[in-house]
Amino acid sequence: MSQLGTKKAEVDLPVRTKYEESRRQKTGVFFKKKVGWLFIIVSVIAITIFNFYPMVQAFLLSFQSGMGANLEYVGLDNWRRLFGDPTFIAALTNTTIYLLIQVPLMIVLALFFSVLLNDPKLKFKSFFRIAIFLPCVTSLVAYSVVFKYLFGIDGIVNQFLLNFGLIPQTINFLADPFWAKVVIILAITWRWTGYNMIFYLAALQNVDKSIYEAARIDGASSFQQFFQITVPMLKPIILFTSITSTIGTLQIFDEIVNITNGGPGNATISISQYIYNLSFEYTPDFGYASTVSYVIVILVVILSIIQFRVAGEKK
Amino acid sequence: MKKFNLMFVAAASMAALAACSSGDEEASGGSGAEGSADVDEITAWAWDPAFNIAALENAKEAYNGDGDYEVNVIENAQDDIIQKLNTGLSSGTTNGMPNIVLIEDYRAQSFLQAYPDAFHPLTDVINAEDFADYKIATTSFDGEQYGLPFDSGVAALYVRTDYLEEAGYSVEDVTDITWQEYIEIGKDVKEATGKNMLTLDPNDLAQVRMMIQTNGSWYVEEDGSTPNIAGNETLEAGFETYKEMMEADIAKIVSDWSQFVGAFNSGDVASVPTGNWITPSVKQAADQSGNWAVVPMPRLDMEGAVNASNLGGSSWYVLNVDGKEQAADFLLNTFGSNPDLYQTLVEDIGALGTYSPAAEGDAYAVEDEFFGGQQLITDLSTWTDEIPAVNYGLHTYAIEDILVTGMQDYLNGAELDTVLENVQGQAEAQLK
Repeated sequence: MSQLGTKKAEVDLPVRTKYEESRRQKTGVFFKKKVGWLFIIVSVIAITIFNFYPMVQAFLLSFQSGMGANLEYVGLDNWRRLFGDPTFIAALTNTTIYLLIQVPLMIVLALFFSVLLNDPKLKFKSFFRIAIFLPCVTSLVAYSVVFKYLFGIDGIVNQFLLNFGLIPQTINFLADPFWAKVVIILAITWRWTGYNMIFYLAALQNVDKSIYEAARIDGASSFQQFFQITVPMLKPIILFTSITSTIGTLQIFDEIVNITNGGPGNATISISQYIYNLSFEYTPDFGYASTVSYVIVILVVILSIIQFRVAGEKK
Repeated sequence: MKKFNLMFVAAASMAALAACSSGDEEASGGSGAEGSADVDEITAWAWDPAFNIAALENAKEAYNGDGDYEVNVIENAQDDIIQKLNTGLSSGTTNGMPNIVLIEDYRAQSFLQAYPDAFHPLTDVINAEDFADYKIATTSFDGEQYGLPFDSGVAALYVRTDYLEEAGYSVEDVTDITWQEYIEIGKDVKEATGKNMLTLDPNDLAQVRMMIQTNGSWYVEEDGSTPNIAGNETLEAGFETYKEMMEADIAKIVSDWSQFVGAFNSGDVASVPTGNWITPSVKQAADQSGNWAVVPMPRLDMEGAVNASNLGGSSWYVLNVDGKEQAADFLLNTFGSNPDLYQTLVEDIGALGTYSPAAEGDAYAVEDEFFGGQQLITDLSTWTDEIPAVNYGLHTYAIEDILVTGMQDYLNGAELDTVLENVQGQAEAQLK
């Protein structure tokens, strides 16, 4: 912003005196920097107070343990405790499973839909776009509850499968460790695919049509066009969506709590739900809870670095 | 000029920062301040408008002390209350905290121990002997009485008399029985009527909790924190009984509250073993009036086990903030010493308290047509006095989450000893 401002000022001042010129040379860089800081100082302070300060405090908290307000420093005990804590390991495993299956599935689906919906010959284009995007505007809790009932033992999914003879007897989706995970993954995919699709659609509008035209003249098939042109052109967006989706999935909470509440047993519990349980469901241990929170931070950092590397972005 | 501006902004922001931090100090310094008898408004938090909130409103009407203050009743979901208390109390500020708060008995010890100075003792305010023993055990800590016991979670067996009759049983046959006898009756009922005997939710071990309390045992030892799982014979019996019920095929599996209520409202099950707070839900099915009876909870087949147990229930607590005297005064002159209030509670909202002197009132002796003219409240309050007192301790829900996984393994064929040892190990690792 500040740069734009100064540039405009230069244009507005066609005649410069020698004095002004020399003054600019002397103070220019520093002056610009200061003005720049001035513009962002409010946000810097706000971010420091509301983001960095809590982060530092949470980091300090992760070395403390105790019930409620009786916290004391325990060094690395919390971190040691992590690796011997079966519930944490279950939560980490579940979250990893969601991540590994759901994110690629969703990205591919979103890409697929966006390419379909970008077809200039497609009719009722906006209807389909809205239909796929619509899940995004529903509240997390509301759609979770709907999914819970859809997949209930008397739910419509069971009825449907039974009536078409696809299963011999009803499946108790939410009480089965495998199917419960499947339901969660289906639910998140339904909710977020449209959201990611919008990014791809927007990016596709910016791909120069002449590239496709040239490809067609050279005899490239649709598949070749997709993999050789569309995917490379969308690479930055794919990277962006996969990072945001990864972070989102690592933090998954609402769906789990409302659909299965972590059950059966710990079969669907996520890291965030475990943090919640440690803080509010069980006798509160905020120290250990923030240690678990920092695991998410570390994971996000590691995964983002990997994604940048894989996508070949050199800073 | 520009420089001046820059410095001005910097100075202003520093001032803002300083204001923030000094504000915090003030707030935390103000907490726990003594005295200030001139508080003219106190706040009470509770959940469930039809039950606890209604009870508070009734209490406001019934207040017969001479304090001059307003009681501001605020409804919050239970989860929200837990979160607000935890975040508020652990941050050290009492700003925005209520004066009176309702806490579930299973969670009481964890609050009392996690925030030692946050609650105001009522030892000198109420007479602990007026209340059911088992309630006192869960609401006191370190020799001080902190909670004012409220609703009874006395558990009972709600039975469909018509189904039992069809299978050749009378109400006496299900009165004061063991779980084994219950299972046998359940098999006959299923054969005769095709109906399941009860509902079970594999994710909720409430059934097991009620079973083990009939023998005065709990997930933790007397100290309230050492997991008491491996080698706990009562818990073993509870697990075995649970599995027997599953294997006898007398249980309809449900996975949430609405399915649970739906099962007995639609006449799908012949009995409901649960807390007495279910009465209004049972009565929802008006067409089943006269077909229900309530008998004492079955017991475990063990030496010392009794036909009385508990599920849920909560108590009132006073926070150690300005207005605590008023809050204690309000509780004393309502739930703490007013038998008439309890009559209204029973009549108007079906809330059964644990205040023993109230049991002599007329409302307790009313015959309930829905239950075939049974003096339900009298019966329930008699059983309340027999509930074995246990220390629920700090970790009921944490251990139960681990136990649920153990139960799955056990139902799938794992050895009980191994399962319970696993749970014990996990619990010890987790609950440091």
